[in-house]
Amino acid sequence: MVSVKLVNVTKVFRGGVVGVKDINLVIEHGEFMALLGPSGSGKSTTLYLIAGIYKPTRGRIFFGDKDVTKLPPRERNVGLVFQNWALYPHMKVFDNIAFPLRLRKIPESEIRKRVVSVARMLRIDGLLDRYPWQLSGGQQQRVAMARALAKEPDVLLLDEPMSNLDAVLRISVRAELKRLQRELGITTIYVTHDQAEALAMADRIALINEGSIVQIGTPSEVYGKPRTVFVGGFLGNPPMNFLEATVGYVEDKPILVIGNNKLRVPDHYEELVRKLGLNQVIVGIRPEDMGIMDKPVPYRTIRAQVYAVEPMGRETIVVAEVDGSQVKIVTSKSIVLREDQDIHLYPSFEKIVLFDPKTEKALEVLYEEEKLE
Amino acid sequence: MPGMRDVEVRSRASEALILLVILAVSLPLITGYSLLILSGFSKSMVTNLDPSSFYPTLMNWILLLQGRTAQFAGIRVNIWGIVANTLVVALGVSALVTLVGSLTGYAVSRMNFAGRKHIMMLLILLHAFPGSVLVVGVAFIYRMFMPPLEYIRFYSFFYVIVARAAIEIPMATWLMKGFFDMIPWEIEWSAIVDGASRFRVWWNVLLPMIKPGVAAVMLFGFLAGWMDLIYVRTFLVDRTLATFIEANAEAEYAYLPLVAVAGTLYLLPTIIFFIAAQRLIFTISVSGIKG
Ligand SMILES: Nc1ncnc2c1ncn2[C@@H]1O[C@H](COP(=O)(O)OP(=O)(O)O)[C@@H](O)[C@H]1O
Ligand SMILES: [Mg+2]
Repeated sequence: MVSVKLVNVTKVFRGGVVGVKDINLVIEHGEFMALLGPSGSGKSTTLYLIAGIYKPTRGRIFFGDKDVTKLPPRERNVGLVFQNWALYPHMKVFDNIAFPLRLRKIPESEIRKRVVSVARMLRIDGLLDRYPWQLSGGQQQRVAMARALAKEPDVLLLDEPMSNLDAVLRISVRAELKRLQRELGITTIYVTHDQAEALAMADRIALINEGSIVQIGTPSEVYGKPRTVFVGGFLGNPPMNFLEATVGYVEDKPILVIGNNKLRVPDHYEELVRKLGLNQVIVGIRPEDMGIMDKPVPYRTIRAQVYAVEPMGRETIVVAEVDGSQVKIVTSKSIVLREDQDIHLYPSFEKIVLFDPKTEKALEVLYEEEKLE
Repeated sequence: MPGMRDVEVRSRASEALILLVILAVSLPLITGYSLLILSGFSKSMVTNLDPSSFYPTLMNWILLLQGRTAQFAGIRVNIWGIVANTLVVALGVSALVTLVGSLTGYAVSRMNFAGRKHIMMLLILLHAFPGSVLVVGVAFIYRMFMPPLEYIRFYSFFYVIVARAAIEIPMATWLMKGFFDMIPWEIEWSAIVDGASRFRVWWNVLLPMIKPGVAAVMLFGFLAGWMDLIYVRTFLVDRTLATFIEANAEAEYAYLPLVAVAGTLYLLPTIIFFIAAQRLIFTISVSGIKG
């Protein structure tokens, strides 16, 4: 097993379309890394660059200490599972899984042993005599996994392998795949556009948007400390709420003005707001980090009107309007609310993230970058 | 196709009308073929839809299989030799067209090389050229590299097959390109990542997926070789069915019912093909790929 390192990797396609630009990414030995981003952000491109299907326009790719930038796919020993699984339709399941082994001229008896053992691991050992079109989606996905694992790859690359499965199946396969990766300890890169999948499975998540990596971190880091508005808005269901605020000063202390509401600046931002001297900020608050009160508290609550209430069983989502824009609050309490009722939102101040409206970066990120210059 | 459903836009009446028109248009053709086949089983040619001219006999077929060109002339021609020659040309053209067509079709569909677009245009252009144009050039080369006399028969087969195949290859390339285009890229990438060379991908993964397409190109190639007259006439030392019929139709001693029999034999692959093709053409698709 190896680590994978991408250094300043850029891919420009024929015709000038930029697939990814200046990617720097290290996936540690045995790590489960999720590559998360919206459709068209360059996730597959990154994966195909690692597999060797695409060659980078600029930059280098390393497996361990070995520079593989120029190596053809077959010399990289990677296992790859595609979104459509790409099973060979004219071959039985056994031959599909055996295909990469046969190309390595492994003796047939050894092949049989390996195919059966990997099939047993993925619980498809009863299907070896079938053709792919005789299998359900979930079974096809397992066959694709088995084919990728049978050759005992150094790196496992998965390109949205579950997006063709139905929602219920996806959740059960999710846990199984995570467990399998742990047991095999194989360096894995998992591409997905589903934030829940990435949060649930990965050791670390790399968020990618418009071809660039926006943030890399553990699930709790990227969820709790988004570096940009994009990250906050992409993770979570419902995602982070954003409110535009003007910065004012009361008795030389900065405050946030949202419509008619005055809100104190969270302690950890007080100095930053002052230092950066911003007049406008975006206030980011997670839906579960806000309480609902019926009385205002000066400098601590935001006045809002109930727009709709969505009881979800385990939790209730309250959609409210603040100064013309919508926010969502997730609450576990079964509170009774009328539409258009006035309520007061009480955010957990230590969880608030402030962003610069111009660059859409979190203030601490902006400050770091300014200091560097 | 059984169980196939169409969008129901036409009324029954208009459907019947369409059928009638199709029938009317193809009537002369059907009549022509029927008369030809009937004449083969008659003592004299069945003409003008006159049933009294039909004297049923199997004599013509027997004569043909004995290799006689005329009932009384007594000249023996080895008809099996002629059928064998026709088969050699047909199978040769079929094999060459399929091999070259599926390789170039793959290249044009899957490989990005300089001038790919131009090659594709050129292929269409080549297809538009009538075979007779090429004859001149081929004849020139044919004369340039004449082998010793004892090899000239093989040499002439080679020229007929290659020249006829050359005419068919542009079309075959386009057909094969269409089939390769239907195969998702992921399948090919998957095989490459699994360690297959480009040739292996083509042979072990892609070709088996488009078997119906390969079969269709094989058949078109076969028919083209089977029916070829112009190259066989120009270059081939031996005769095929086409030149045999031609020679007999022109001959003064020609006994026409016998020519009709040869004609029926000549048409046989086409007829078989079109009956079989109804099924084949409907099932041509990339088989076995699930949504
Ligand atoms: N082979 C290609 N040729 C040209 N442009 C491509 C090619 N593959 C991907 N792209 C473009 O690169 C960008 C990133 O694509 P991709 O990596 O497939 O996104 P994702 O997998 O995140 O949905 C998109 O704008 C896409 O249109
Ligand atoms: Mg993709």
